[in-house]
Amino acid sequence: MKTEPLSILVRNPLAGVFVALTVIFALSALLSPYFLTPYNLSVIARGLAFVGLITIAQSMLMVLGELDLSLGVIGGLCGVISGILMVKLGIEPYSAMLLAVLLGACLGLFNGLLVTTLRLHSLVLTIGTAGIFGGANLVLTRGVAITGIPKEVQFLGRGDVLGVPVPFLIMLAALAVATFVMVKTPFGRYMYAIGNNQAGARMLGIRVDRIRLLVFVAAGAIAGLAGVLMVARLGTAQPSIGDTWVLAPIAASVIGGVATTGGVGSPIGAIFGAGIIAVIENIIVLFGVSPYWQGIVSGAIVVLAISFDAISRRYLRRENG
Amino acid sequence: MAYLETHGLGRDFPGVTALDGVDLKIELGRTHILAGENGAGKSTLVKILTGTDQASRGRVLVDGRDPAEDPTLYKNIAYVPQELNLFPQMSVAENLFMPFSRTGHGGALVDRKALVEEARTYLDRFGIEADPRALVAHISVSDQQLLQIARACTNAEMKVLILDEPTSSLTRVEVERVFKVIRALLDRDHAIVFISHKMEEVFEIGDDYTVLRNGEKVDSGRIADITEADLIRAMSGRDLSFEEHFRPETTVGEAIMEVRGLTGARFEDISFDLRKGEILGFAGLVGAGRSEVMQTIFGFQKAKAGSVTVAGKPWALNDTSRSVAGGMLYLSEERKHHGIFPLLSLRENIGISLLSLTTGPLGISDRKERGAVQEIIDAYGIRTAGMGKRIAELSGGNQQKAIIGRAMATRPRVLIFDEPTKGIDIRTKTEIYRIMKRLAEEGVGVILVSSELNELKKCASRIITMHNGRITGDFAATDTNNETLVGAIFGTEAKADEN
Repeated sequence: MKTEPLSILVRNPLAGVFVALTVIFALSALLSPYFLTPYNLSVIARGLAFVGLITIAQSMLMVLGELDLSLGVIGGLCGVISGILMVKLGIEPYSAMLLAVLLGACLGLFNGLLVTTLRLHSLVLTIGTAGIFGGANLVLTRGVAITGIPKEVQFLGRGDVLGVPVPFLIMLAALAVATFVMVKTPFGRYMYAIGNNQAGARMLGIRVDRIRLLVFVAAGAIAGLAGVLMVARLGTAQPSIGDTWVLAPIAASVIGGVATTGGVGSPIGAIFGAGIIAVIENIIVLFGVSPYWQGIVSGAIVVLAISFDAISRRYLRRENG
Repeated sequence: MAYLETHGLGRDFPGVTALDGVDLKIELGRTHILAGENGAGKSTLVKILTGTDQASRGRVLVDGRDPAEDPTLYKNIAYVPQELNLFPQMSVAENLFMPFSRTGHGGALVDRKALVEEARTYLDRFGIEADPRALVAHISVSDQQLLQIARACTNAEMKVLILDEPTSSLTRVEVERVFKVIRALLDRDHAIVFISHKMEEVFEIGDDYTVLRNGEKVDSGRIADITEADLIRAMSGRDLSFEEHFRPETTVGEAIMEVRGLTGARFEDISFDLRKGEILGFAGLVGAGRSEVMQTIFGFQKAKAGSVTVAGKPWALNDTSRSVAGGMLYLSEERKHHGIFPLLSLRENIGISLLSLTTGPLGISDRKERGAVQEIIDAYGIRTAGMGKRIAELSGGNQQKAIIGRAMATRPRVLIFDEPTKGIDIRTKTEIYRIMKRLAEEGVGVILVSSELNELKKCASRIITMHNGRITGDFAATDTNNETLVGAIFGTEAKADEN
């Protein structure tokens, strides 16, 4: 069999983004002596954990052909609710966190029910529900952080196991579960089928709406988990948690090979994409780029990354007829 | 010298030669039939002729000049793809002249009045009945097909018009409208390249022909000098008994499915029995409501009234997953929209119906899935470079075989084929007929919806005709002549019966 130099990239869509991540990682290590220090790496990993959880949730929805712009706000609302439950209502902290995650699942259910029963466009609907959830957050907190989160749960956000940040491990566990479900179970196959061709999936007797609903629920729960872990990390329930979790996970998913139109890609690819963004943002800080310029630089690099990806795909397709 | 010629045209893709040494001569004022099975290289050839792909070897000559050196020559060649490629939410007139700059309607503002006025002349010329201001989504399929041809002809420099299966979703009467347009274009000294799998049309409209097989030209000449059998032999490379019948040879048993008074959005009071051991054909015009009836029985569309029983038990309507679980499958004519998952591999497309066999406690087993999918690939003769290939890259016939193979694996009790051979070459058609026959003989209830009378007469034991949402006749296939059937399809015969 003839091997084309780039054929591995065609056969395995993950290879491209993995190579890109490795190259950016190596370049960063060469460019900055601080990059590979354990402290810096753990900063990257801890930051990646939270955006990463949202990225997993968003990429699952994107494979179905849906987008949920309220995931970040769900994270924020669940975070402050967990704070209120444990600090103001004195509920046992772990139970409070669990309840908050369940709330995330319920908010996902709310989105999912509206999308599936009324046949709404998820992107537009979740602009609306994001307003509702975000507003509820402000009504409950009046914009003021809830302090006094018990020390015992802060380990989940701040702690390390063998030098690896705990939230990063939790994100990896969520990634493993999501990947197993999507790659190895019928449920996952049905997700891809729905993302490819919803009518075709119905024709095969797949319970399309039930699966879409369940993925919205799972995404909401994961977003809630991210919010709760962020509270554990900060030690306070900030109303602003989740503000930056809206666009980066979508960009990360696209960089990682998940199409906004659905049907292709995987959470692993999306996490590689999130890794690329995290490393780039880190190296910008290490270089001391003025904070005013950081948005421009990181935005430009995302544009470059997806353009490069699109061009290489087109080139590969031409080679393969 | 012919107007459009190719000399030793070849096109290589990694690992595959799609075209090799193809010589072609297209003359003005004549219809040239481009014949070949799915995957014979017709599409690749058309892409090179229209400039969307470049040849690896050989050359194209348009009016004696090479378009590779002068790309403006490509403007003389227009192409109408098989799939409708219109803007459904824009008006007929807008569709006709898009892009406006090409057709002299450019400028900062679009003059809608002028657009509509000029559109009328085209619509008259092409016999399109729709209003130029109507949305394309609201006009008939045959008008849409003609509109695509008319749009290609708004290009004033067009000399050669390539039509890729322009009649595949049209009924006999509508085909006549397309042929009228073709004849008018020939009178204006245009050349037509006509791609079709329907033999009667090929012999009716064709002047010259070229047959491709496996990327090579195997035969060419005048249609008047070749018989249907010879043309089919040239395309398939072997003898096919195209007069063969595929009716089940078993005796007809008890009813598997009984439909009573079924009513839906576009049909009323449909009652019939599907019996064990028969292939039940459904004939009718496009829009007669046949697909709607089947999709309603299957649960894909909502039923308003009526009941269905399968094996004596009431059948739940409005739920496709219960239908599938209960052993009923519907194979849609819309392969692209209802059948395949285009971005997934052949393996995943087939494997999706085998998951109950291939999933163990550790999830879907790679090994089991490969084995089960390979069995289907072998059993149904699906030609592919490997099961990891995206299904969208396979030819239409192979996609259809994958869909059928996948359906068989679920061991259905009732199987509904809706236009299963649309856009599929003759050899694959025969294979599909054999599969239907075998299933019926094994006791599966088989329904065949088809717009080709020949196909129904070849395969069906019994033919039910529909017109305008109602059943107009129920005939044994062996002792029915075409006139009676056509009468029932057009609703004339039935009215006489009712009165």
